[in-house]
Amino acid sequence: MLFFSFFKTLINHTVTVELKNDIRIYGTLRSVDQYLNIKLDNIDIVNLDQYPHLSSVKNMFIRGSVVRYVVLPQAEVDTTLLEDATRREAANQANKA
Amino acid sequence: MENGAPSEPEDPSTFLAEILGAPVTVKLNSGVVYRGELQSVDGYMNIALEKTEEFVNGKRRRGYGDAFVRGNNVLYISAT
Amino acid sequence: MAEAEAGGASSVAEPLDLVRLSLDEIVFVKLRGDRELKGRLHAYDSHCNLVLGDVEETIYVVEEDEQEQETVRTTKRQEEMLFVRGDSVVLISPQAS
Repeated sequence: MLFFSFFKTLINHTVTVELKNDIRIYGTLRSVDQYLNIKLDNIDIVNLDQYPHLSSVKNMFIRGSVVRYVVLPQAEVDTTLLEDATRREAANQANKA
Repeated sequence: MENGAPSEPEDPSTFLAEILGAPVTVKLNSGVVYRGELQSVDGYMNIALEKTEEFVNGKRRRGYGDAFVRGNNVLYISAT
Repeated sequence: MAEAEAGGASSVAEPLDLVRLSLDEIVFVKLRGDRELKGRLHAYDSHCNLVLGDVEETIYVVEEDEQEQETVRTTKRQEEMLFVRGDSVVLISPQAS
């Protein structure tokens, strides 16, 4: 749940999603779900020269499982908050086990 | 159980509990091999190793003080 | 089980504790597809989803030249803030350096 909540805080900010097939997509994060499926609007393919067939695609729903990275806007990430949330999640996980 | 059984029946997690702290070899699906001291294992076969050395194609590539290996990559753990 | 877990918050009772102890520290991460990352760990969960700050990514590509000699070419990339999907993760190691 940690990363689902985290990505929800980034909605309406721009990110770059790198897929496992190396395609890199820049766009506005519109929505995310518990599987970390991602919907992007106003997209640009960063490495379009390699994937010209995507030149006219304007928005994308990306299945979470095909994502390798998401490049995040550094200014929108509160790292102290993230680390505290991570420790809480780890403690919860330990209590469950 | 006493009559003629060569040894107590043992399940895999008993084996893993027995070799905690011992030197082990961990082979991954990719063929990469790690040798180190087994710090801990969980139900996903996630592994924590100490004093780890990494071998690719039999050649030593790197050393790690501590290493966490994600369980889905593990082919086997062997007591060395 | 629970009494074994209670052996102090700093002990490595289960493998992910090693990752927990690396929060806000520099870690080395080995990924599928001959990729490596080095950066500061800001978040993780039980799937090994990660957020890393000030990351250097190294990609290894094996190339074969005319003499069928194999050479390894490395590509490096920097990112300020990166989410890494856990299913690509192979190994995480705390880096003192």
